[in-house]
Amino acid sequence: MDASALLDCVTTSSCLVTQTTSGLIVGMLLFLVAAGLTLIFGVLKIVNFAHGTFYMLGAYLAYTVFQITGSYWLGVLGGGLGMALFGVLFERFLIRRVYGANVLMQLLICYAVVLICDDLVKIVWGPDFRAMGMPPEFQVPPLFILGGVVPPFYLVLIAVSLLIGGGLGLTLGLTKIGKIVRAAAHNPDMVSALGINTTLLYSLVFAAGGALAGLAGGLAAPVRSLTPGMGFSILIESFIVTVIGGMGSIGGALIAAVVLGLIRSFGTIGFPQFTEGLMYIAMIIILVSKPSGLFGKEIV
Amino acid sequence: MASGMVRTRIWRDILAGCLLVAVLAIVPALIPARAFQDFVIRCSSMALFATSLNLLVGYTGLSSFGHGMFFGLGTYSFALLMQRTGVALPVAFLLTLLITAVTAVAVGAICIRLRLIYFAFVTLAMQMLLHSVVISWVGLTGGDQGLMGGIPRRSVLGVDLGLQYNLYVFSAVVLVAGLLLMRHIVNTAFGTSLRMIRDNEVRAAFLGIVVWRVKLTVFVLSAVFASVGGMVMSLFVSGAYPELINWPISGDAIFAIVMGGIGSFLGPAVGTMILLLLNDVVTRQTEYYGLALGLIILAFALGLRRGVLDFITERLGGRPAGGIS
Amino acid sequence: MLRIAGLTKRFGGLTAIGDVTLDFAAGTLTAIIGPNGAGKSTFFNLISGAIVPDSGQIVFQGEDITGLSRAAIVRRGIGRAFQVASFFPSMTVAENLQAAVAAHRGQWADLGRGFPRQGVRERALEVAEMLGLHDSAHVLSANLSHGDQKLLDIALGLALEPSMLLLDEPTAGMGPEERWNMIEKVQRLWRLQNLTLVFIEHDMDIVFGIASSIRVLCYGRVLAEGTPDEIRANPAVIEAYLGTPDPEDDA
Repeated sequence: MDASALLDCVTTSSCLVTQTTSGLIVGMLLFLVAAGLTLIFGVLKIVNFAHGTFYMLGAYLAYTVFQITGSYWLGVLGGGLGMALFGVLFERFLIRRVYGANVLMQLLICYAVVLICDDLVKIVWGPDFRAMGMPPEFQVPPLFILGGVVPPFYLVLIAVSLLIGGGLGLTLGLTKIGKIVRAAAHNPDMVSALGINTTLLYSLVFAAGGALAGLAGGLAAPVRSLTPGMGFSILIESFIVTVIGGMGSIGGALIAAVVLGLIRSFGTIGFPQFTEGLMYIAMIIILVSKPSGLFGKEIV
Repeated sequence: MASGMVRTRIWRDILAGCLLVAVLAIVPALIPARAFQDFVIRCSSMALFATSLNLLVGYTGLSSFGHGMFFGLGTYSFALLMQRTGVALPVAFLLTLLITAVTAVAVGAICIRLRLIYFAFVTLAMQMLLHSVVISWVGLTGGDQGLMGGIPRRSVLGVDLGLQYNLYVFSAVVLVAGLLLMRHIVNTAFGTSLRMIRDNEVRAAFLGIVVWRVKLTVFVLSAVFASVGGMVMSLFVSGAYPELINWPISGDAIFAIVMGGIGSFLGPAVGTMILLLLNDVVTRQTEYYGLALGLIILAFALGLRRGVLDFITERLGGRPAGGIS
Repeated sequence: MLRIAGLTKRFGGLTAIGDVTLDFAAGTLTAIIGPNGAGKSTFFNLISGAIVPDSGQIVFQGEDITGLSRAAIVRRGIGRAFQVASFFPSMTVAENLQAAVAAHRGQWADLGRGFPRQGVRERALEVAEMLGLHDSAHVLSANLSHGDQKLLDIALGLALEPSMLLLDEPTAGMGPEERWNMIEKVQRLWRLQNLTLVFIEHDMDIVFGIASSIRVLCYGRVLAEGTPDEIRANPAVIEAYLGTPDPEDDA
């Protein structure tokens, strides 16, 4: 533990800027993953324990598309679209069979998918870690903001994540389909009573959740090393985010994700050995004081 | 008349337990394979742990994702007490139970008021927190390396548990004793209170049951049995390692419960056997353990849609003790 | 027996129960009536400790029970049944009742002896018989008919040997014939078990047919109280409630 290092950092503008940017990146990517998780939970009341795997597969897909086409953005798009498709298939052939079953049965199915996909990645891409590297268009000198070193790619990453998040918010808030999704999250019986095709709706929600995770994986690929099993830590963190924000609340997920990202980036300076512990403590404290998360509805 | 039937049931269970220990004690004379004894020791440890988790999941409806924290706490407390202090094994055993119980009271007091999925995730967070502490407190726990250096003074009532066969019989005895005790718990009025809370918490409260007291009690009891499983594991691996307190330990127990059958008392034990067998067989056949195990899980889960023992019970026309949903 | 003074409960800006003062004499069969949203169920929830009042006092058999927990109030002798039948679906009828009897005998935390203990089984069967459930004693309660589930709910309350029993719409969701069947059983129970019984009911034929006294709640306040004849003649009740066609009929 090194409280003085933390104090030094907070009072130095260069360190403050660097850590805040890296915290925001972690937070925004986490938000994209967690938004899909919370969306699926809100509408289907299913906890998708395989969501980290969507992220991992998205990253690998983006990597391969980038290798073939040389375009980072096509890679990201490929990750998102691929995972949207994967989400639909996953819902159609596996999750649909365990609606209403015990949550542990759902956990087991997802766990199986995680195990299978981790090994498939090993078979297709090899067991060792892969690095995508910085795309050529972003291999430019870093910016200096208030003395802090900020690679331009970081700013692009934050901006794109914000755009995707904003797009999601607008879709949910303004479009007809968004209204249906929100209504379904609020009262599932009403939606089927209104004659809305729930089968289609559920596929759509899983497609959206998959796309968000896949996009996040693709966006993150240049700054993360790709390994089979990389989905687990993001899964745990996005769970923390959804639970803190309140299951089913996308706004809550955004706030919780940014807070968690900042805890992580500043935690590495003050408590390098115990950064993960800090996140768990944050989650426990919040749930003890607000048992349904910051913006969650009471689930009975 | 009623209590007569209850007594018969108890004696029948005890007899079955003694029989199991006797059979296991004889087997090595016929099949002298060391691997078999190792398998039984690991199985005893994990079966105790999985059954203890089912007190929460199956009987009370409390889905904990972090029960492995008490298993891991058992291994670490026991190994530390044996390595760092001079106490005899039985004393270390009892002290570990005490440490676990006190921790469980504190953790339980925080967790049991949360509902469903929140309870699940906070228990998981608690376990990961403990895991973080174990990893970062290198001076006490050895960090990543774990507590190496073995377990000294391995003797109970003059029996040397350093000998494989002795440890093997010991673990079988502990397993049977633990299962009998848990069997007893679910067959008492307290056990009925657990099922009432699982089925309908509000109704239970309006029949005069103090729900939080029952929940906290069962949380502590199940933690204590998990800790016993951890101690058997600590004797087997001669120490304590971070993997024994990490999340996959909880995952294994949940897997065992769901595979074996959430509604049958012996379901988790059967599930543990299935899991360990799969583990041993599959790792020998292929390096893609996850792929094979995942496909097998999917076949089981989607084919039966319930645990193996629940499936058999229902096929035989019986009614498992717990509903699946 | 039960004396309620100045009882008030607000949810946000809405006053669900406002300054309600009521007496329930021992041995009476009292009906609580009132339109939807009158606060009838909230009133039961307050008495039985499911929710805590903002102000006011609840005195049961001379003891102030305001703010006590559900379990504590049950122990003092107030049992209840719910609008939506509430029981333990994974258990048979007999197991349900044994569980309730054991809970009533304070055995619910007993880790010592096997379940059920001496006498519990017999007592549970007795309770089943009181409501005519003994023939389905070994039926899984989840598989019972709707009417029998309502009876089981009442039987669970009865297993506590309460001196007062609160029934929230015992006939909810039943057809006309089933209703009278249920009401007959409730009435017999009241006579034979020396109970003080309070029930919420919408069917006016039933209310005026069996109740020995009636309380009318409207928008969280007591509109009228008295014998069926007094209520029938009360101008405020006629205007607010009886004058309009039956405001709701669950059947």
